[in-house]
Amino acid sequence: MNELTVEYRKQKHMFIWLIPLVFLAVIFLWSTAGQGGLSDYDLAQGYSYLLYLMPVLNCILMPVMLAVLSSRICDMEVKGGTWKLLFTLQEKSRFYDRKFLTEFLYLALFCVGELTVLLLCGMLLGYTEPLPVKQALLHLAATLLTGSAVLTLQHILSLLAANQFVPLLTGLAGSFLGLFSEFFPPALARLVLWGYFGAFTPYHMDWNNDAQKIILIHKSFPTGLFAGLFGFTVLSYLLCRHIFLKKEL
Amino acid sequence: MLPLTIKAENRKLKGSVIWVACFLIPIIPAIMGTFNYWMNRTVLSGEWYSLWSQLTLFYSLLFYAPLVALYCSYLWRLEHLEHNWNVLMTLPVPVRDIFFGKLCVIIKVTLITQLWLYLLFCLCGKMAGFSGFPPVTILCWTLRGTMAALAIGSLQLLLSMCIRSFAIPVGLALLGSIFGFLIASFNKTASFLWPYSLMLLGMNSNDYEDRMAGQMIPFSVSTLAFFLLFGVTAIWLLKKRDVKA
Repeated sequence: MNELTVEYRKQKHMFIWLIPLVFLAVIFLWSTAGQGGLSDYDLAQGYSYLLYLMPVLNCILMPVMLAVLSSRICDMEVKGGTWKLLFTLQEKSRFYDRKFLTEFLYLALFCVGELTVLLLCGMLLGYTEPLPVKQALLHLAATLLTGSAVLTLQHILSLLAANQFVPLLTGLAGSFLGLFSEFFPPALARLVLWGYFGAFTPYHMDWNNDAQKIILIHKSFPTGLFAGLFGFTVLSYLLCRHIFLKKEL
Repeated sequence: MLPLTIKAENRKLKGSVIWVACFLIPIIPAIMGTFNYWMNRTVLSGEWYSLWSQLTLFYSLLFYAPLVALYCSYLWRLEHLEHNWNVLMTLPVPVRDIFFGKLCVIIKVTLITQLWLYLLFCLCGKMAGFSGFPPVTILCWTLRGTMAALAIGSLQLLLSMCIRSFAIPVGLALLGSIFGFLIASFNKTASFLWPYSLMLLGMNSNDYEDRMAGQMIPFSVSTLAFFLLFGVTAIWLLKKRDVKA
């Protein structure tokens, strides 16, 4: 039987799909709250505003969501205490990869869902701005990559920690650090992994005091930073995988 | 029997990782809030009040309830392992004492967290060069925020008791806090009806003026009502429902 199918069978009746779905519902609510009766000016930059808002929301929500997701998926093996038996049936490395892939698919589902929320808000609130497809896709890629980097850390913690307190605490602290890093100078903020959710934001916000209006200024996509984070994610995944394989469970 | 259950719960916490969260998490807003204050000190002119707003802004809005949830999940963790529910329910201890014993310990840990945050706030204020001591009102806000933990503690203990997963109640607390923030932003009166808003109101974050002035009675009534509602529900469930060991 396909090992990925086995992973999904293990999750039967656990309603894990509800985790990203509920967080998406919160993003939708936050995005639409207080947006009734928008002015023409606001409607003309509706999508841009949401693409500015979503990375901030991801900074708050995603570290905890990924910690919960990873903990929920890895917890069953940790609780069961059947590592030795399990590894007589499945290679340790394959188990690690399949487990991660399962979590990654939920992450991908969440990222696609976020774009759906964007489109839904546009339809419901009647944005007049044409959908900035390129910015939306870059947002998707950046969220997926940063999410994968954070997931790599949460994955190893959830598997190795006998007590799920540690991964959850990491997620909570990450959420805190990520949000605060938004207010830091960029050079300092780049030292915080969870802060990368906000690092690829396609817009910069400015306040026009005379017109009493928010102005969203387009930013170029930091390709170098993206490539650097990609490299970091791959390396940290390999390192974490190596640690897991060497660890006596 | 209650003092004995409190003693037993306290013993479980000896050398536990819960203290890492208790002392580590408040350090993050202290360092980052002070840094943020320092970077914007030309705009933030309220000295101790400004620093308080920066320190508690996100802490009380979004992270206080998940932190209490983390404590609660940790306290029920042992019962959810192996067949410990069977052991617990066959002990000659009234179930109300089991629940309130846990709640007392949660309140104790939360109080320590809050006082640690306040101490860090004082230290950060001194480092920022403020003269004298912080206004007594800020200590009152700290304690008022702790009082709100009575409602959240009961709710999270109930959730962690019913949900066997360690992580789900923590996630729910974050979502609850976000709703609390949204409710408090749009309708202050309605926020008395949502338990996760109470901490935010109690700690008076991001405001120089006491937003709760003259509203201590609805705040106290709301806290007490939620505490009773969730406490009674938890005890009723413990009495009536068969455990899943």
